Amino acid sequence: MEPIIATHDLRKVYRVGKVAVEALRGVDCIVHEGEFVAVVGPSGCGKSTLLHVLGGLTGPTSGQVLVDGNDFSKMTDADRTRFRRHKIGFVFQRFNLLPTLTARDNIAIAQHIQGNGFNPHRFQGVAEMLGIQEKLDHRPFALSGGEQQRVAIARAVICDPKLLLADEPTGNLDSENSQAVLNMIRGLNKSFGQTVLMITHNPEAAAVADRIIHMRDGRIISD
Amino acid sequence: MVNKLIVSNILYRPIRTAVSALAVAIEVAMVMLFVGLAHGLLNESAHRVEGVGADILVQPAGSSFLFALSQAPMPLKIGDRLKEIPHVQAVAPVFFNFISTSLTVIYGIDMASFDDVSGGFSYYPGSRPLRDSYDLLVDNLYAKANHVKIGDTLTLLNHQFHVCGMVEHGKGARLFIPLQTAQDLMQEPDKASLFFIKCTDPGYADAVADAIRQLLHGYQVRPVNEYLSLMTSNNLPGLNAFITVVVIIAVGIGFLVIFLSMYTTVTERTREIGILKSLGASKRYIIAVILREAGLLSAVGIIVGYGIAAVTRKVLIAYFPTLFIELTMQWAVYAAILAVAGSMVGAFYPAMRAARLDPVDALAYE
Repeated sequence: MEPIIATHDLRKVYRVGKVAVEALRGVDCIVHEGEFVAVVGPSGCGKSTLLHVLGGLTGPTSGQVLVDGNDFSKMTDADRTRFRRHKIGFVFQRFNLLPTLTARDNIAIAQHIQGNGFNPHRFQGVAEMLGIQEKLDHRPFALSGGEQQRVAIARAVICDPKLLLADEPTGNLDSENSQAVLNMIRGLNKSFGQTVLMITHNPEAAAVADRIIHMRDGRIISD
Repeated sequence: MVNKLIVSNILYRPIRTAVSALAVAIEVAMVMLFVGLAHGLLNESAHRVEGVGADILVQPAGSSFLFALSQAPMPLKIGDRLKEIPHVQAVAPVFFNFISTSLTVIYGIDMASFDDVSGGFSYYPGSRPLRDSYDLLVDNLYAKANHVKIGDTLTLLNHQFHVCGMVEHGKGARLFIPLQTAQDLMQEPDKASLFFIKCTDPGYADAVADAIRQLLHGYQVRPVNEYLSLMTSNNLPGLNAFITVVVIIAVGIGFLVIFLSMYTTVTERTREIGILKSLGASKRYIIAVILREAGLLSAVGIIVGYGIAAVTRKVLIAYFPTLFIELTMQWAVYAAILAVAGSMVGAFYPAMRAARLDPVDALAYE
């Protein structure tokens, strides 16, 4: 079976002023569909950059990045955006909900951007699964951190993405909410076969994954 | 959904929304009021000349259709020759005196002949026609604007005039004095600035005008319809330029405020734009959100602007009855188009800037 993620000698160099920063220094990794992979490592090891490249938010400097068979290194920014719209869902550490919209609209806007229109059946199912039916008419400032993250997960999966990328999803949550969010992500993976790649520096969070990739200095040091 | 996002964004910052919409409203009101004032005064002036009831105007060679600019009066005896032309029913000589401080034209008239042409004034109770040398007739709008009553004494052209009557507006000027007094004040005895000519039937106007041209070579002979057609902003030196400058300033205000507002919005919402991009929103989608938000601000501003223009017009006319402001549908549409165009141009750069934001940087924006 084709892997959903395949990178070969993936490199990413950022320019900060005149200084070149090598964030990724030749990453080779394979992730298969349905896997739940945690990427761990210290701050600055390149794990967030890896997530951004795999999510098509930024292009690689060199090397090959295949996501669901699409080579990001050969795609334009607009092509990656289109791909992301249909195939990738993001969950962020800071939830990143739109503050002016209700929880319902924060979720629905993902469907709108995808262009397939509002799917009430799918919406209802996701809201029930994540236990946020009672909170749908609240704005983010009226929700707890755990509730905001559940809304963010709902937004990420509402369009049924091939790949869910989670960037420190428990980083801003207490232990109880962290566990709840991890259970939900785990549940999505187990129940629906959702492929998940989660970045974390928390070993306990990483432990819920099927597989843990360790990074240091822009490289994978163990898998 | 985009509409929900836009409306919620607009409501999220009510003060900024109000200021932006108000700027567009001022732009719209400014355009409508200035243009309406220019056209209103021009048209009202034309209607007053039309209201005299004459069919033909005769002026000296080279004189302007703007009576305030007319100089070089004609010999009064020309009037006798004009009366002899077939189909001429009445001829009324008028001598113009211009008060430059208030931009007011005073008609020096011969009461009898002016009545013959115009059918006579509609007098307010207590009024009487011009009789004595320093009698003055005022129209009702001048009287209201300047708080003049019948029996008052007014100082005009360095002389004291007795207000002998008040007449309904719409017959040439707002102030009327005896013809001879007007001539004497300018030391131009037996002269006239203009002859109003009434034909036995308006259908003879062109034929009579041709006959007058044969008789008086080089004189300005204009049927009233031709005169009215000249009273447009195109024929007034500088008026179109003035209107253009006002419109540019107004649109400039709207453009700058919308530009600043949307630029601030984009900066403030950098992270939110990053979120939209992470969800797969295209550049076109982001641009559309920003432009539609500016468009909504413009729409609100346009409606408020119409209201401001209407209320300002009422207030101005209440305090200055001689002002005429024409708020036309045509200029309402133009003002709206200009406001929307200015807003779109103003919002375009911020929209492009938003669309070009790097999603990673935008998501990291504090």
